[in-house]
Amino acid sequence: MNGRGEPALSLRGIRKAFPGVVAVDGVDLDLFSGEILALVGENGAGKSTLSAIAFGELKPDEGTVHSRGTVGLVHQHFELIGRLRVWENVLLGREPRRGFSVDERAARERVLAVAQDNGLEIDPNAVVETLPIGVQQRVELLRELDREPSVLLLDEPTAALAPAEIERFFATVVQLAARGTAIMIVTHKLQEVIEYSHRVTVMRHGEIVASAPTHEITIGEIARAMVGGDLPDLATRADTTKTPCLHVKDLNAGSGATRLNDFFLDVHGGEIVGIAGVEGNGQNTLADALTGMIAYAGTIERRGTIGVIPQDRQREGLVMNWSLVENALLGRQHRAAARRGLELDRRRARADAAAIAQRCDVRAASLDVAVKTLSGGNQQKLVVGRALIDDPDFVLAYNPTRGIDVGAAALVQSRLIESRNRGAAVLLISFELDEILALADHVIVMYRGAVLGAFDRDRFDRAAIGRLMAGST
Amino acid sequence: MRRQLGAIALIVVLMALAMIIAGTSPIDGFTALFVGALGGRNEIGETLVATSALLFPALGIALAFRAGLFNIGAEGQLVVGGLCAGAIGAALGIPGPLGIVVLLIAGAIGGGVWGAIAGWMKARFGANEIIATLMLNFVAADFALELVSGPLKGPLAAGAETAWLDPKYWLPTLLPGTRLSIALLLALVLALVLQWAFTRTVFGYDLRASGEAPEAARRSGINIGRLTWLALTLSGAIAGLGGATIVTGELHRFNTQLSPGYGFTAIAVALVGDLQPLWICLAAFGFGILESGGLAMQASAQVPKDAIHVIEGLIIFVLAARRYVATRIEGGAP
Repeated sequence: MNGRGEPALSLRGIRKAFPGVVAVDGVDLDLFSGEILALVGENGAGKSTLSAIAFGELKPDEGTVHSRGTVGLVHQHFELIGRLRVWENVLLGREPRRGFSVDERAARERVLAVAQDNGLEIDPNAVVETLPIGVQQRVELLRELDREPSVLLLDEPTAALAPAEIERFFATVVQLAARGTAIMIVTHKLQEVIEYSHRVTVMRHGEIVASAPTHEITIGEIARAMVGGDLPDLATRADTTKTPCLHVKDLNAGSGATRLNDFFLDVHGGEIVGIAGVEGNGQNTLADALTGMIAYAGTIERRGTIGVIPQDRQREGLVMNWSLVENALLGRQHRAAARRGLELDRRRARADAAAIAQRCDVRAASLDVAVKTLSGGNQQKLVVGRALIDDPDFVLAYNPTRGIDVGAAALVQSRLIESRNRGAAVLLISFELDEILALADHVIVMYRGAVLGAFDRDRFDRAAIGRLMAGST
Repeated sequence: MRRQLGAIALIVVLMALAMIIAGTSPIDGFTALFVGALGGRNEIGETLVATSALLFPALGIALAFRAGLFNIGAEGQLVVGGLCAGAIGAALGIPGPLGIVVLLIAGAIGGGVWGAIAGWMKARFGANEIIATLMLNFVAADFALELVSGPLKGPLAAGAETAWLDPKYWLPTLLPGTRLSIALLLALVLALVLQWAFTRTVFGYDLRASGEAPEAARRSGINIGRLTWLALTLSGAIAGLGGATIVTGELHRFNTQLSPGYGFTAIAVALVGDLQPLWICLAAFGFGILESGGLAMQASAQVPKDAIHVIEGLIIFVLAARRYVATRIEGGAP
């Protein structure tokens, strides 16, 4: 907004390469005091690398970084010590001392002062792991604010926040900017960009492809710049007949904040049911109970076969050192059809892998390369293709498009719609409300392990769903 | 494979260094080693005896390591297997060939039980298998010593050992005029079977998946607890079978000199063999040369035989530490 005077942070000719990929290629970027700059781009566009360079965490191969004053960075994944108290986390390494011990009273007062100064509500004595995610975010932010940074970098700050918490968070950010802090937000949530930022810079393949004051650009233009063209269309929804497939009643499982409380759910063949909710409200527990990974009390009745798209493809869905062929068999290796006598049917496994690669457009040098050499999008397409190849009656898709580019995401979403069209029951658990609203026939809002509301596709109400996700009815 | 070649190069360089320190030229030292290990019928026989004694525990270790389980207890499993074969063999009264089969099976069961204890502790209580298997080595050694000093001591035995086996229970000799028995052939067949099992069967697939990516393996429908238990049992059984072949093929009785640390050297063998049974056969032959040529090298080149054990220790350290760290960081196979 105020592009006057010396920039608070100035990047010139930044280039950074990692083995096999140039993450940032010749980027110039200025950040001025009092402005909120949104840095957007697809996964792998180079945003996180660029902010790590700006923070000084990474050294660029070429180019220079100049900043006036200190630079603070709030990470996408909080780096807090759960067992410690708020003040201990905020002041870690900078505790006020009295003799050889920490002056606890001074420490608490200092944290309170910084919090009040910035309009943040916090109990300095609370143990961090007992706090809701939104408050933990505040602790993370306070830790940076205590160092009075003149530049503040926020990496996907709202990824784990409910809509109401997001509003609160941005109120603080706007206030910080008004008092002269230069702020850069790395994000992929375009709605927030439009609402709160002063300027937008779009990265693609390591380069800046667009930069404009926010009021001069539309969401559509930003999205097109991110993708480098028009967004691919989704598969069309066909009329289906609905037959009962999954029936969940009085489900109790797990413990602590992610415990399921008398959860209930019905999914029919020919429909996609979306579970809307903020991360950490029991989605993991639900997915684990449905896939038999944990013990539970209550009823889970399912008809027919199941295909699972796990939320963490690298840890839960793939053996990274293995080839596409071997991975295509994972989770299917105990079927009678996978064997020929005592041996695995290797010819069939290869044919399946080829079919998956072809149907889901998995791009790899060959079926024999290790999946760790594939991009995240191709890994995910392999996982999705594998879950769907045996035409399961029930599909569990947990964040099926997380961390992959728009093209791959559209393909995955289309495959889910096609599964629904052929009569499969699809349960979509996603932290992206937009994804749920785009795909689901029926939405269930999950909050603290319980069902807080349900909506049919013709009655979707984004605002109402958002409120329920935050727990307010 | 590069890591394996590096390990071999490291062994050669370290040995050359030890020779130089001992005041011998490496050429003379290695000549003494190879002549001592391969210089005649008897030397080759002894080298192959050591090869087969290393091969069994190394194959057992490879099976466990492939599943991500660090079985450091092959030594104890070998001893218990040998003890079972020796104790039963001393009292057996059935025809020869059948008796041999019974004794080998007894050894496998003994080693298997020893492995299963560690497996059960891990699967049931989450005990660390490294510590469990390592500690069971001491239990096995003292347990065996106690038994052959008292209840199982042969009536005519001078020291701590069982009575001698009836010659009809001795494994047939493979190379006449040497101590080499058909145990070597058994080990080679076992290596082929394991190679096949690892790469071609559902069991091998599950085993490798659990070692490479435990969480993905669990979610693919593999019962990890059962697999842990099974892998350590089989691993112990293979080492125990090795102990039984030493008793029936070489010692013809059980005593506590059964193993000069084969179960530990076998860790290096398995790692240098990249946990692949066929490569492990080659590695076992290489370490067999060191074992049997070491004495000759000590005699003519003044390099203490213990230097070889120091070097073996270093190899384990370098290869195992790297694997262990890689596992902890990436969650991959050992």
